Amino acid sequence: MASAIPTFTKIGKVIRLNKHGCTNRPFYHIVVQKTRDNFDGPVIEQVGSYDAMPNSQHEKLVAVNFERVQYWLAQGAGMSNPVAQLLGLSGFLPNHPQTLIQSWKNRREPPRERKLQPIKGIAPPLDNPKI
Amino acid sequence: MFARSSSRIFNVINISCIQSRSARAWVRKPLGSPMAKSKMFRIAPKKFIPADEKAEVKRLYDNYFHQMKSLRHYFFEQSLEQAESGEVAQMKHRLEEEEHIRLMEENRLENEKTAKLREEKLKIQAEKTRENILASLINKEEETRLYEIQIEAFLEKQKATPFIQAENIEKAIEEALANPVDFNFAIDLDGYVYRGRETAIEKIPEEERERLRSN
Repeated sequence: MASAIPTFTKIGKVIRLNKHGCTNRPFYHIVVQKTRDNFDGPVIEQVGSYDAMPNSQHEKLVAVNFERVQYWLAQGAGMSNPVAQLLGLSGFLPNHPQTLIQSWKNRREPPRERKLQPIKGIAPPLDNPKI
Repeated sequence: MFARSSSRIFNVINISCIQSRSARAWVRKPLGSPMAKSKMFRIAPKKFIPADEKAEVKRLYDNYFHQMKSLRHYFFEQSLEQAESGEVAQMKHRLEEEEHIRLMEENRLENEKTAKLREEKLKIQAEKTRENILASLINKEEETRLYEIQIEAFLEKQKATPFIQAENIEKAIEEALANPVDFNFAIDLDGYVYRGRETAIEKIPEEERERLRSN
């Protein structure tokens, strides 16, 4: 339900990924929203973006507005796991435990079959296709 | 691009508010429906995590939450400090000051204007009251003068009427005894006196007509 109706209870705000893009081509907006809004509902502020598809240089591009993220964290906004992980990897926040757990699991287990092939270009190809 | 969002309203599941002709989205199995044959004797696989790994995961999460808590607190404190002394706050303060000065100036001018108007009004009023007072004083004087004149006239009249003083008393008695007054008469509306048995004034001859006057 959209939050266009005026409410008097305090609804928590959350920084999370909103999936946009199209079929087989996801693209995420890092966004501040009220918890009860849908991904396609009203957004308080867009605070970055995350491209899940690696580009020709085998990079997954992430953009984050750290000043605004700090402001919203100060206002008491929550964070979803992926956003927390991204911010940890960027160095703004401490590393999320999930990143470390996933990394040692990747080292342990054999890689999974993937539908999409990584794009071969200038940078050397990934040796762990799980990432 | 937009996934169908199924809503859960009043515990009625699997309804979408958005009308669509394609397949309905599935939220959950209806309560009360029986278990499927393929799932009857299924045992869900439980992941085994060794104890040391569990301990490591717990340690990582505890550390992380501790750090995040302190970070959030720190961010909050920073935001408070910025609100007090940041650029935005300073600008706001400056603008408020300017607004205040402007409004005070406006107020002062307004006060001056109204003071001028008030003074003029008061002047006019003072003039009016002064004139009123003068007029009333003059009136009062006139009235007292007239009153005194009337009193004088009255006194004169009273003095003019024949009062019997102590010296005249014997004379007055003798006079009264010598001239008895006979009140056995009738009187007309016009004041004509009828002493005899005549009832019309025409019957009485002119020389013997008597008329009382109201002085």
